[in-house]
Amino acid sequence: MRPQSVGWLFMAPTLVILFVFGVLPFVYVLVISFFDWNSFAADPTMRFSGVQNYRDLVFDTGYLMSLWNTLKFGVFAVASEIVLGYFLAQLFMRNFPLKSFFRTIHTLPLMIAPVAVGATWRLMTVPGLGPIPYYLDKWFGYDYLISRYAGQAFFTTVVMDVWHWTPLVTLTLLAALSSMPKEPFEQAQIDGANKLQTFWYVTLPLLKPAILAAVFIRLMDAMRTVDEVWMLTGGGPAAATRYVGLYIWRVVFPKTDYGYGSAMSLITLYLTIVMCWLLYAGLVARRDLRKPE
Amino acid sequence: MSGLKRMLLGAAVAGLLVGAGPARADFWSDAAKGLEGTTIHGVSESTPPSNYVKDVLAPAFTKATGIKVEFEATSWDQMYDKAIKDMEANTGIYDFVYIEQDIVYSYLSRDFLVDITKSLAEKPNLKAPDFDPAMFTTFVNYFKGDKGDIFGVPMEAFIKVYLYRKDLFEDPAAKEAFKAKYGYDLAVAKTHQQYKDIADFFTAWGKEKGIELWGSTVQAHTGHPASWYEFFESIAPTFGVYNWGIDASKNYAATVEHGGSMNSPESKKALEYWLSLLPDAPPESTASTWDEVAATFAAGRTAQGLVYGENAAWIATNDTKSKVVGKVGVALPPLEPGVLEAAESGKGYIGYYDGGAFGIPHSSKNKDAALLFLEYIAQPSVQADWAVAGSRITHQATYDDPKVVAQDAKTDGYYTLMKNDGRLFAGAPPYPFHAQVREATAPFFYQAITGELSASDALDQMAAAAEKELTKLGYRK
Repeated sequence: MRPQSVGWLFMAPTLVILFVFGVLPFVYVLVISFFDWNSFAADPTMRFSGVQNYRDLVFDTGYLMSLWNTLKFGVFAVASEIVLGYFLAQLFMRNFPLKSFFRTIHTLPLMIAPVAVGATWRLMTVPGLGPIPYYLDKWFGYDYLISRYAGQAFFTTVVMDVWHWTPLVTLTLLAALSSMPKEPFEQAQIDGANKLQTFWYVTLPLLKPAILAAVFIRLMDAMRTVDEVWMLTGGGPAAATRYVGLYIWRVVFPKTDYGYGSAMSLITLYLTIVMCWLLYAGLVARRDLRKPE
Repeated sequence: MSGLKRMLLGAAVAGLLVGAGPARADFWSDAAKGLEGTTIHGVSESTPPSNYVKDVLAPAFTKATGIKVEFEATSWDQMYDKAIKDMEANTGIYDFVYIEQDIVYSYLSRDFLVDITKSLAEKPNLKAPDFDPAMFTTFVNYFKGDKGDIFGVPMEAFIKVYLYRKDLFEDPAAKEAFKAKYGYDLAVAKTHQQYKDIADFFTAWGKEKGIELWGSTVQAHTGHPASWYEFFESIAPTFGVYNWGIDASKNYAATVEHGGSMNSPESKKALEYWLSLLPDAPPESTASTWDEVAATFAAGRTAQGLVYGENAAWIATNDTKSKVVGKVGVALPPLEPGVLEAAESGKGYIGYYDGGAFGIPHSSKNKDAALLFLEYIAQPSVQADWAVAGSRITHQATYDDPKVVAQDAKTDGYYTLMKNDGRLFAGAPPYPFHAQVREATAPFFYQAITGELSASDALDQMAAAAEKELTKLGYRK
């Protein structure tokens, strides 16, 4: 057997799994997206509709609004997680009493299922039961009602996401900080760089790959968030937190509009890829081009 | 040998003969022969009646038959999601599913369910001696096909009632203050204006006394269809708007322009009224589905409200869960003039007759075992305890059971009300596009709750969206 054949043989199980669970469903969704198919329609069979589902998307204000809300959610949540995650990573780089204990506690949210996170936050925010509205009212006279006020609901979903996922960013950046070489920092010290200059010209460039990895992972996660928000607000009030994942879920499952939901899923996937590519092109590729030969 | 000795000997011989003969088991173990060890899976919404099935009836069935029951009592959304996906994909995960009255038309239109009447006729060995479809209340009719065969065994049935706090309504100081303010006696509201007055009064009363008390529950979740249902099933009919304002006989028209009534003046008045109750409702109301409304009332946070009847018993009697035990009054909902007369003449209805049945999907891999289970829970002998625990009644005879009569007294006559006036309530209209129209129109409804749209604009947009969706689905030509 030639070495190349052996390689393919070892790869085969992975490729088969990838094909069955990745490629086939994708192709299936792609095909369905060109059909008008609703289980509870007068005619529940699949009827070819060409690009009608894609055409409808352009005029679907609900979908466009959910995309915009998701984008805002992603930007606010991921930016907060990166900043907070960096400071926490820096904190865990230092020595202080009970550091291991706090590091463990800090990672606990990562182990909780998103549905449980949503349910917990719901319990904390429901008026008459939750401590958050109670103390905000008692201490500040603030009327906190996320089922009524869109801004509060949006902000709370961002905070919930930050609470849940910042530990992932912290651990990623902590690993990167731990593996940084000492020499560039010593050189910067010798050159008389202050803390800000050291951060900007040494730490940040060295951390960039880890930060980008965290941004990509978290941004893609944010684009498909469903369960946490579903538990907390149900997508409300009105459309304030009906992020695109939730919107697609509503179209595909309760509304059983499989064709339209499939088209929506593919366009959302496409937009996510484009967004990540733009981010990559803007932050990595352009700088690489500027590098002197 | 004396006569007495002969008799004793004879009895002993007879006893020995009986004892030596083959053991005769009861129907359940006989019918389940060959099915012992089978596990059937079911899914239902987590409600008091469902939980009774899970905790009491399923274990008893296993004991009687050797058939194991894995019963998932989950949220309403998940229940639908799981059941529909399973039946659609024909995966056969579930052997019985909860069929809420409002979804049965969708399931029948897709031929998801096994014809129970036909199955029992084909397999007489599985037919329990005391299973008789005639013993059910008329609620069973919702689960019948065109030929009168049943496709679901009624599991729960109840009406959405007007609950009020008797202690507050009978409080002399409250009565006096109410009369002074409104010029008439504080009593159970018969009209919407009276209901609103009472709601305003007790909200102010709570504020004045420094207690957490509001005038009314409102099931007004701003992201969950429970609010949509409260309006179309419980509020709009009390203003004379039926069947969600969609007229099937007029090409499924929803707009007034095409002959529907979703955006009719009555409908708009109904929504304005319902929205006007929000300031009189506890702050959690905009996050409340049916469950939270019941919890709010049980916590003693409101003076009155429309509450699903499945909760009436525990709210009125279970002091481990309810703070208002012994203080609950039950009545018919407030109505606009003429609505009661329309309901009595069969031309309308005054509220929601809710409930559901268990059915067997065609995709089930254990149909015989599931059939036995459905018959088991339909036995007359298990109905009374179940009715007491879950305030649900599906058998006509259950009303007269001493246990139910006793519970009736504790719940201020809830069961009597259901027995006598249940006919004035109705289930959801027989539309197979239930969830589709709801999902198409609900976003506008939520905007009405948050104040982004006026009641009038919201209903106009909802009616247009409903017609658009019905056209897309192919019902509206």
